[in-house]
Amino acid sequence: MKIIVRSLVIALAVTGAIATSYANASSSKTTATAPVSLSKTSAMPVPGCPPSDPGSCQ
Amino acid sequence: MLTSQFLNSLAYFEVLFCLAALCAITLKKQWPEYWSLGGFLATRFLSDLILIPLYHLSVPVPGQSPAIAHRAYVAYFYIYWISYAIESVLALIVVYSVFRLAMAPLKGLQQLGMLVFRWAASISVVVALGSAFAPDMTRAKYLVAAISQLQRTQSILTLCLLVFVCFAILPMGLNYGSRIFGVSLGLGIMATTDLVQSAWLAFLPHFHSAYSLVNGVVICVVLATWTAYFALPEPKRRMIVLPTTSPFLRWNQISQILGDNPGFVAVGGMPPELLAPAELEVMQRASRKMVVPFPRSMSA
Repeated sequence: MKIIVRSLVIALAVTGAIATSYANASSSKTTATAPVSLSKTSAMPVPGCPPSDPGSCQ
Repeated sequence: MLTSQFLNSLAYFEVLFCLAALCAITLKKQWPEYWSLGGFLATRFLSDLILIPLYHLSVPVPGQSPAIAHRAYVAYFYIYWISYAIESVLALIVVYSVFRLAMAPLKGLQQLGMLVFRWAASISVVVALGSAFAPDMTRAKYLVAAISQLQRTQSILTLCLLVFVCFAILPMGLNYGSRIFGVSLGLGIMATTDLVQSAWLAFLPHFHSAYSLVNGVVICVVLATWTAYFALPEPKRRMIVLPTTSPFLRWNQISQILGDNPGFVAVGGMPPELLAPAELEVMQRASRKMVVPFPRSMSA
């Protein structure tokens, strides 16, 4: 049990670290192409377009 | 179409699981210890309740005025991002309170860790808000960028806490059935999902709906985990027994006296008027009783 939980936690931490390095490496690309770079952990859709022009990024 | 229906169902499930977790916390009388998690869930519950109808109104439908859809979208945009900012700050407080609860038996290390955490969190928040600023930025873009940076900061701190809790939980007298571990695990899963999503959106920016599915499933799993941890009885904390040579014990003792007000010692000549009559009497009697007479000078 202890080994399983520790492996899961280490896997989560390593995945998070790798994802952070990828996200940082491509941050310039993100601002140029993507409307948003992050959203809530939620099923609700992300409102990425500016409020003045909702259809600009669809 | 099927994806959209599934996403809608997940949104409703999310609301239900939020309510279930809130009920579990309330019924088990855990608000004093987990008020920040309760606040996080309440914010999520209320924002979802408002966002679901606003989202349906913001989707243009034939026969509906475009002005209504536009106004609904504006409201949806601000409520989504403002609630996200509040949740990020509350999640930081949850991390802080989980650390405080986990370290409760070792007061000295707890105080030292909380001091370090407060500084790290404050600096991270200032850096996140500062680094989000760029020239030619509108208010809406700044809001999105600042909240994204804040969330990323919070995710990294959360993962650090999860690793600490996972390895320190057994020496702290807890086990994997403890609510402290359950809350940390849920936050850790959410943090990893956020960071992976951040990388995903950087490479595949137009795959929002695919990731929304992942997000929806993950949040339902996390909320169900929290509900289970709060609904089930928590195992009692074991008594912690440390060897006298334990570095934990030594560092705890050192940390406990850090910041205490120091005592003062008179090192110069002290006039007798500063002493109380009783103190003078004691000192005179003590000197009379001395067997060896006190030397009158260094040469004597």
